[in-house]
Amino acid sequence: MFELLAQTSLNAIYAASYISLVAVGLVLIFGVMGVINFAHGELFMAGSYVVVALYADRMVPFFVAVAAGLIFVGLLGLLMERALFRPLRDNPLGGLVASIGFLMVLQALAVLGFGVRMEHIPPVTQDVIRFADKISIPVARVYVIVTAFVMLSALWYFLKRTRFGWALRASAQDPEAAALQGISVTQTAMIAMFIGAGFAGMAGALTAPLISINPHMGHSVIITAFIVIIVGGVGSLEGAVLASVVYAFVHTFVTTFFDGVLADITGLALMLIVLIVKPTGLFGSADRA
Amino acid sequence: MFSNILKKDLSRRTFLKSTAATALSAGLPSIALAAGEPIKIGFLAPLTGATAAWGAPGLSGCEIWAEKVNAAGGIKIGDNSHMIEFVSYDNEYDPAKARTGATKLIREDGVKFVMMLGGDTWPGVQPVADRTGMLFSTLLPSDLSPETTTLLAPTEVHPIYLVTGVQWLAENKPELKTAVMCAQDDALGLPSVATYLAAFEAAGIEMQDEPLLFDPATTDFAPIVTRLLSTSPDIVCLDTCYSDYVHPICEQLFQQGYKGQIISATADFYDQLIAKTSKEFMEGFIFQFPDFDDPALNGDNINFDDANGFYEEYNKRFPGQWGAVSWEYAAIMQLWKAGAEKAGSVEPDAVLAAMKDDGKGKHAFGDADWWGTEMFGIDNALVGDWPVVVIENGKAVIKGFKSIPAWYEQHGDLLIKHMSAYDQMWNQRG
Repeated sequence: MFELLAQTSLNAIYAASYISLVAVGLVLIFGVMGVINFAHGELFMAGSYVVVALYADRMVPFFVAVAAGLIFVGLLGLLMERALFRPLRDNPLGGLVASIGFLMVLQALAVLGFGVRMEHIPPVTQDVIRFADKISIPVARVYVIVTAFVMLSALWYFLKRTRFGWALRASAQDPEAAALQGISVTQTAMIAMFIGAGFAGMAGALTAPLISINPHMGHSVIITAFIVIIVGGVGSLEGAVLASVVYAFVHTFVTTFFDGVLADITGLALMLIVLIVKPTGLFGSADRA
Repeated sequence: MFSNILKKDLSRRTFLKSTAATALSAGLPSIALAAGEPIKIGFLAPLTGATAAWGAPGLSGCEIWAEKVNAAGGIKIGDNSHMIEFVSYDNEYDPAKARTGATKLIREDGVKFVMMLGGDTWPGVQPVADRTGMLFSTLLPSDLSPETTTLLAPTEVHPIYLVTGVQWLAENKPELKTAVMCAQDDALGLPSVATYLAAFEAAGIEMQDEPLLFDPATTDFAPIVTRLLSTSPDIVCLDTCYSDYVHPICEQLFQQGYKGQIISATADFYDQLIAKTSKEFMEGFIFQFPDFDDPALNGDNINFDDANGFYEEYNKRFPGQWGAVSWEYAAIMQLWKAGAEKAGSVEPDAVLAAMKDDGKGKHAFGDADWWGTEMFGIDNALVGDWPVVVIENGKAVIKGFKSIPAWYEQHGDLLIKHMSAYDQMWNQRG
């Protein structure tokens, strides 16, 4: 039993890592711009396809492909900010609808560029760290965990310790007051979009060799991310990270000890319970909710 | 003015009759076939999405088949020859889109026959089939019921053929005594679960745990594999998992140190699976869909025309795309062509009667019987032998053909028991 618990915990830590990256990006975009980005799952998908195009098809080193995924999808985020969200800044519903349209465009581009088939990505490494006979973790998953930890720490430092970070947080808390202090709302929106989208792209790129890649893979990712940010508190980065860990552990343990269908139901039930008990989420403020 | 036209050119009775006839004909598929007119066949399957691997490769196979048939003069209906033409519609494995597609193919494109993957999409199409009387085919006989009188399962007898793999496993590796299983919780996964449970019970292989069901949207299979391996089974059964699941599950089995037997309905793109794991890990993997370059498909018992040549052409045009269904829709077309030529008509009723004449048919893997009254409430599934395929030295090899009816004769009660337990009998499905 100990081995099963330990292995399940390792599985949950991996799941929490990539879910955190996606959810934090979604929260950042919502916090600064007030837009629910429905295309966030497709940004994750775009990051995976960068790895397909560079690492699988052109033999570019994996971590270079991951970095390219972050930058490319970050730039996609900037495109979204400029072309979709900026013109609709005073119209959150319009931004939401535009993101749904962008979602479809990205899916169609993936189909046109890569076809509908699942993509084959060679393993980055087949090395496995074994702690005991039945406790192990593939090194490829360790890459995801370590990178997520480093990137989330860097984001925390950026937001708490740098002037741009302060500007971002000020804009998220009160855009009008921030503008009166000389903070450029446009500039902070662009930074938020680049980081938010880039994190989703990096999560997709990092996990690409570990999952099935197809143009419709963003669907399940966005549902998980929405559950996580509602549980954590819409607009709260700390909440998103904590909720990712809680969700990943609950989902992984229920899948392992019961079944995957019940795990999905449990995840949704968790969200409902939080909404009933604390409608603002674990870390959310009444203003954002 | 309207009354004047009536007075001048036709009586009220004639007007009403012709109007009724027009309305009726607008509601039915066009059956008449002019000399030289191409015969259009509908291909209504998922061409995008998670199940696309069981649609799109079949359309490619059909195109190769059609070119060959057309080059040989087409299909002979009565005194006329007709070229064959496929009209595809991507139903995205969505019942509503399948219904729209069926209506469009029949009403707008004038197809004479519609091939489907079936499964979750059939309930969306059935009202269209009932209304138009159009002849449909499915790869999944679990779609059949006494009401589906114009639906045939002429090639793949999913999931019943799965018993042959377990039967071969039990005969050839009797030392393997325990198994676990996982499956996606959908119309493809559940009847397969019931079938494998029956096959394992018949073979004396003990299930160590309840089948582990997962949501079709699952992307991380580590927890599922951890659970599967927690009881140290001799056999891991992957049920009828889509290739999008088979690959990551096998990777996880490899990474979590599993060294036992794997059995699965399919192993599409198994060369990629070997690349992701190892040749040694995949050695002995049992599944049910052969590569058509296998010498065993040159035997006299095989009814699929020039299987090896078909495979060669397919790989030339679509390198690396060969999968479980690449040949299946073409095999259905071979049966439909024989039926239409025998009937001298493309009318659904006539073709259906000709195909089922004397209760026997020429299935791709050998002569077979129209079967299924007990299992499906209707004998619209063509059932005979099915191959058992094993990966040996990195290549899929047919190890033999096993008779499904012979297994059913002995163990049919077990299959009905497990199908009933999963509400998968024809009279239990909603």
